[in-house]
Amino acid sequence: MNYFPDEVIDHVFDFVTSNRDRNVISLVCKSWYRIERLSRQRVFIGNCYAISPERLIARFPGVRSLTLKGKPHFADFNLVPPDWGGFVYPWIDALARSKVNLEELRLKRMVVTDDGLELISRSFVNFKSLVLVSCEGFTTDGLAAIAANCRFLRELDLQENEVEDHRGQWLNCFPDSCTSLVSLNFACLKGDINLAALERLVARSPYLKSLRLSRAVPLDTLQKILVRAPQLVDLGVGSFVHDPDSETYNKLVTAIEKCKSMRSLSGFLEVSAYCLPAIYPICSGLTSLNLSYAPGIPGSELTKLIRHCRKLQRLWILDCIGDKGLGVVASSCKELQELRVFPSDPYGVGNAAVTEEGLVAISRGCPKLNSLLYFCQQMTNAALKIVAQNCPNFIRFRLCILEPTKPDSSTNQPLDEGFGAIVQSCKGVRRLSLSGLLTDQVFNYIGTFAEQLEMLSIAFAGDNDKGMLYVLNGCKKIRKLEIRDCPFGNIALLTDVGKYETMRSLWMSSCDITLGGCKTLAKKMPRLNVEIINENNEMEDCIDDEQKVERMYLYRTLVGPRKDAPEHVWTL
Amino acid sequence: RTRRGDLNTDLRLGLSIVSPDAQKDNWIGPSVSKQREQRQDWPPIKSLLRTTLAVAGKADTNVHNVHNNDNSDRRRTSLFVKVYMEGVPIGRKLDLLTLHNYDDLISTLAHMFTTSITCPNGDRADHAKSLHVLTYEDREGDWMMVGDVPWEMFMTTVKRLKITRADRC
Repeated sequence: MNYFPDEVIDHVFDFVTSNRDRNVISLVCKSWYRIERLSRQRVFIGNCYAISPERLIARFPGVRSLTLKGKPHFADFNLVPPDWGGFVYPWIDALARSKVNLEELRLKRMVVTDDGLELISRSFVNFKSLVLVSCEGFTTDGLAAIAANCRFLRELDLQENEVEDHRGQWLNCFPDSCTSLVSLNFACLKGDINLAALERLVARSPYLKSLRLSRAVPLDTLQKILVRAPQLVDLGVGSFVHDPDSETYNKLVTAIEKCKSMRSLSGFLEVSAYCLPAIYPICSGLTSLNLSYAPGIPGSELTKLIRHCRKLQRLWILDCIGDKGLGVVASSCKELQELRVFPSDPYGVGNAAVTEEGLVAISRGCPKLNSLLYFCQQMTNAALKIVAQNCPNFIRFRLCILEPTKPDSSTNQPLDEGFGAIVQSCKGVRRLSLSGLLTDQVFNYIGTFAEQLEMLSIAFAGDNDKGMLYVLNGCKKIRKLEIRDCPFGNIALLTDVGKYETMRSLWMSSCDITLGGCKTLAKKMPRLNVEIINENNEMEDCIDDEQKVERMYLYRTLVGPRKDAPEHVWTL
Repeated sequence: RTRRGDLNTDLRLGLSIVSPDAQKDNWIGPSVSKQREQRQDWPPIKSLLRTTLAVAGKADTNVHNVHNNDNSDRRRTSLFVKVYMEGVPIGRKLDLLTLHNYDDLISTLAHMFTTSITCPNGDRADHAKSLHVLTYEDREGDWMMVGDVPWEMFMTTVKRLKITRADRC
């Protein structure tokens, strides 16, 4: 099979960067498997319990960058008890013991401890990049260890984590010799920041391209930082409140005007609308704008701002922009590819919400749209059909009507036809989230047309088991299926048990599956972990097979049941 | 049909559902169901965003009310701050959301405390000899003279008010 020496093949493999391609390459023959595994540097593990750290290291001893994901997606919405699992310490420990030359660690929905962070900082001499998304379990003490010990740190990116603030001086812990920072994001931190230390750090970081500040960083510090770092490409603003007639504000305006490389803006965690005009000069260059954490900006100001952002490709915003505001987006942002509209008033029925009108306007004005997350007051089949026709390129389509099981607001019919139109028109759709009143018919459409679908999220939908079976039978590429509050039971669960080994995971909560059904599944499929997740105050003496299961999470694994599950999580 | 789990029970109550099959029929709506206020799992947004919006809803509403003239539906009904007058140990509470500008504020307080108060903005020749001036504590903990910044900005940063004697300022 090999006409070339190993070194040549190895060199060729260097050009193959996508993990999917590399996985395929390693299946060709034994020697390609061997060459590939020794040369692999970036490893992605979508479920930390599918494999063990020891086996990872055995296969890929040269791993430099590791991505790990822990808790199931619905953990974001408080559906998973906090101590369920997803601990990263054993991974760090194993990598440290095996003297792996780890340079980058990217974690999502995992439990990270200060001990773990400290171990990273002491074990991996060349450690360069730490990215934590939706993680928890650590404090600013752990960050201090990273800052102090990682001599070549380039990236510290904390996205939406729950971090306990110990009022330490973690920013002070970056030594004076640390000048390698390229990306620093601490927007999610809640405590005070040593502003002088921050200014000094920025001043000695000439390569800094991305900086996202927390709410504790006031406008005058921002001004000083921008003077030092006009080369910034990505900025997250902390506090943006000041007297617009002051000298500080004028200095800020001047500093911002010099930031000619700015392409991405976010934050505004605390904001006064009067200060917003200061950023107008850089709006024309922006490709990404995230104002989803800025409820302090009223809809009218959002609209004014967006008119200046004609090159926007990604926009994350709150629904206080309104349908009219989305109309302005549609006419101003012709390059828009990704739009996310979040609910500014999650529990109310205020005027702030958007409707199908806004979405239709966007679809008419933004032909390049391929990714959508839209929280809205109401939707109609007619609108979805128009959207499907205008935007056939959707890769991700997530619609959340705030009121569950709400029908088409003009016809009172289920929204089956509308979503059906989407999957029929958007042949490349990979991720879909449904909402509103839906019958089994929508799943028939999905099973028939959504050939590229990889992830599907369903809530309060369907009539009976047929719905779920349409999806399991029809969607050949489905990897993640998450279902809550749907009338799917054991028949749907057990009809095609082999299917689950072709998927990463299945989540079902508040459905009609029983303990007996789950036990049957677990028995038939030893290479699946079938977990029953209870709240930790729900221990019952009598465990009845007929009892409906509140939460079930199953996933394929090569390493059997995990040993770190808490008492109230049973692996069958 | 037994159901375990508080989350699920809350949802059913919130939906006012009596039987599992009626899941589609009996959704009454958020204005009726108080249970919905406590929901942590719907709508599906991240916890960090949820808490950010909850905090914002308590503090910054008046900015919305000023700019969105068509929005008569207030999300929050009050923004009470404490008001003290120098020399008077017992304070009062005032709902700033009932006021629209500094003039409103001054006249309401003057009435509440039966005195005359000076405010730096505007020409108030007739108040030049007022007994008191109005100050406020801002988010940074500093005591400032009321009236220097735009009303909307004031609303986002005021924590409490103090009516001090004019000869002290």
